[in-house]
Amino acid sequence: MHAQRITALTALGAASALLLAGCAGASAAPAADVTAEPEYSGTLSILTKFGGDPLGPYFETLAAEYEELHPEVTVELIQETDQSVKDKTKTLTASGALPDIYFTWTGNWAQNFIDGGLAADLTEVIGPDTEWGKTFGEASLSAFEVDGSYYGIPLYNNGKFMGYNTAIFDEVGIEVPTTFEELIESCGPIRAAGYEPIAFGNKDGWPALHYLQQLFAYNVPSDVLHDDFSPSTATLDDSGYVESLEQFKTLVDECTDSGNGTNGVLYTTAQEALAGGRAAMYYQEILEFDTVTAEGNALTPEHFGIFPLPVPEGAAGEPGSIEGAPEGYLINAKSPRAALAVDFMKFATTLENATILSSPPYGQPSTVIDAVTPETSSVAVYEGITKVNEASGLVIWLDTVTVPEVADAWLAGGEALISGGSTPEEVLESVRNASDAAE
Amino acid sequence: MLLTQQSELLDRVPAVQTAGPRPPRRSSRSTARRLLALGWILPAVVVLAVFVYLPLAQNLGFSTLEWDIYSGSQEFIGAENYQRLVADPIFWSSLWNNVLYAVVSLAFQVFGAIVLAAIIESIRQDRWRRGLRAIYFVPSAISLTVAGLLFYFIYEPNLGMLNHALEAVGLGAWAQPWLGQESTAMISIIAMSQWQGFGYSTLLFAVAIQRIPSELYEAAAIDGIGAVRRFFTITLPLVREMTGLMIIVTISGAFQVFNEVMVMTSGGPNNSTQVLGTWLYRNGFVRNDFGYAAAIATVIFVITLGIALVQLWINRRRRVEW
Repeated sequence: MHAQRITALTALGAASALLLAGCAGASAAPAADVTAEPEYSGTLSILTKFGGDPLGPYFETLAAEYEELHPEVTVELIQETDQSVKDKTKTLTASGALPDIYFTWTGNWAQNFIDGGLAADLTEVIGPDTEWGKTFGEASLSAFEVDGSYYGIPLYNNGKFMGYNTAIFDEVGIEVPTTFEELIESCGPIRAAGYEPIAFGNKDGWPALHYLQQLFAYNVPSDVLHDDFSPSTATLDDSGYVESLEQFKTLVDECTDSGNGTNGVLYTTAQEALAGGRAAMYYQEILEFDTVTAEGNALTPEHFGIFPLPVPEGAAGEPGSIEGAPEGYLINAKSPRAALAVDFMKFATTLENATILSSPPYGQPSTVIDAVTPETSSVAVYEGITKVNEASGLVIWLDTVTVPEVADAWLAGGEALISGGSTPEEVLESVRNASDAAE
Repeated sequence: MLLTQQSELLDRVPAVQTAGPRPPRRSSRSTARRLLALGWILPAVVVLAVFVYLPLAQNLGFSTLEWDIYSGSQEFIGAENYQRLVADPIFWSSLWNNVLYAVVSLAFQVFGAIVLAAIIESIRQDRWRRGLRAIYFVPSAISLTVAGLLFYFIYEPNLGMLNHALEAVGLGAWAQPWLGQESTAMISIIAMSQWQGFGYSTLLFAVAIQRIPSELYEAAAIDGIGAVRRFFTITLPLVREMTGLMIIVTISGAFQVFNEVMVMTSGGPNNSTQVLGTWLYRNGFVRNDFGYAAAIATVIFVITLGIALVQLWINRRRRVEW
């Protein structure tokens, strides 16, 4: 290539860059009127986290039924999985193509959309005093409340518990551990009986964060913990962090078969180990209870029990807290069909549809009052959601409650701790640095 | 064999100036032909501009921004993202992983592949030769994503075939969590990649070797020249063009690695398997730092553009003919 051409191309690139930079800026759009009478026509796009089995058919059925009720409406579903919905949402956000309705976690994840003006203010339709709002548990609604305004439609609640195989516990002759130390002690006899004590797969990094966040809640005073989620107030110097990291490392080394190689094991492989009767315990979300006991699995609902991760002795935090949070949907503030989107979500959260969602095979405990009952849900799902409702506090997932840079540092730190690449002190230092940089 | 260097020959041709007839004036017919040609070319130029060069320019623009995808706000920060790159240890370890990828790939997919191709092509029985070519090529027919998944399960610490195989042959002490620890994760991914790409390179070299006149080998055999010397004096020099091409393609490919890393480790554990592509992805799609991700993309582009320019330069320099 001739030098002149290279120069010309470089100049063209630089000029384009400056032009683009100069033109950059947010485009203002009128706020969606969520209280308007919906116009039952056009295409309604929805991004879900229910891709694949067994959850996939839930929204597909809802969409088909809604289209039948309103023949002029077409529902366009974008069904993603727990992992892929993160990328999809950000791609659509960056390209200004967010659907009319989209999935969200609580915490920093939802906050970004609210701060960015991408989530419609639903206070007038779903606030606690409204007709629709009264159908939800107030705590679930509050999970999406910011400065007195309500932005999210909580679809189901969630929490993390140790699921266990009662038959293995009976065979080995051990009781449900009441302290973290007892949990560790139980691993030896279970292994001696030929089972993996606790199945654990951390290939994606976040499963470790779930253990850590629950241990942080137990070991770090709750006001300190909450201050540390935000880089502007974080100090991350409480001794409970190092204690938690050490406890987690002990659990990985003593109770998992993979040990320091757990980063090379899939979360679903661990799930299958419990479902297949090869492992005695597996730390999981309520949303997975019906999956591990699904028909065809060695583990049956009758032999499936749950207990919260036991509290370490002398823990200085909140022993009654449970890690978990509702998950829900936001309505695109720039959507011209915001009123129709609200109407669809009202349809999705009728008691009938909420009950279906809470029942097997879906097992997603709805946030709608009276949807989860011993009659409609499996025993474990009902027990789990009852424990979540009775918890003294809920702690949001570590990978969504804080800013991405800090979550990423926790993620890498958790992996390094498991593999032995970093000590607890080094992990905490790296997170502190990330938090300082993100301030 | 006749070796000519076209450019040198052209240089030797004396420049002759003649007072020949004046060139004909540009007729309206030739103008129409030129316009017609332009009409044919224009759609391709437009497509290229819109889908290749405009995104490149856009990316360069994005790399100078602090961009909040949620609010849409974009603040011009000049070269700040590039300054951050220089101070980012994970960027440098990612770059090092790409370099390691390139070095190992050169060893296996270029030099290893030439040797294997020469061995296969020296086999006299047609059936064996074809069979071996097919055997080596099959992994290349598998998509990288599928191959990555396949090897993920081979490397799995509890259920994986590799550890079980090591235990079966009495090497249980060597069994380890290949993808689960920083010390072995990257080299495990690179090993999979060699398995996947080795056959393709071998096939290309086999084709190049087939183009070498058999008389050369026959003459060498009559002179009593051994296989190793034949390889170094006949095969290697006469597949020089293919070797040059494969070196460039292999290095360039090593800096664009993405799929296999994402499938097997997503850049973990503890960022030990990050390569430039996955570090770009992580910053853009996990950390919401699209400006910084664009800066990494620009670095990848500059590296691959540099490699492409070297390739163009080498291809123009000399050509071997016989």
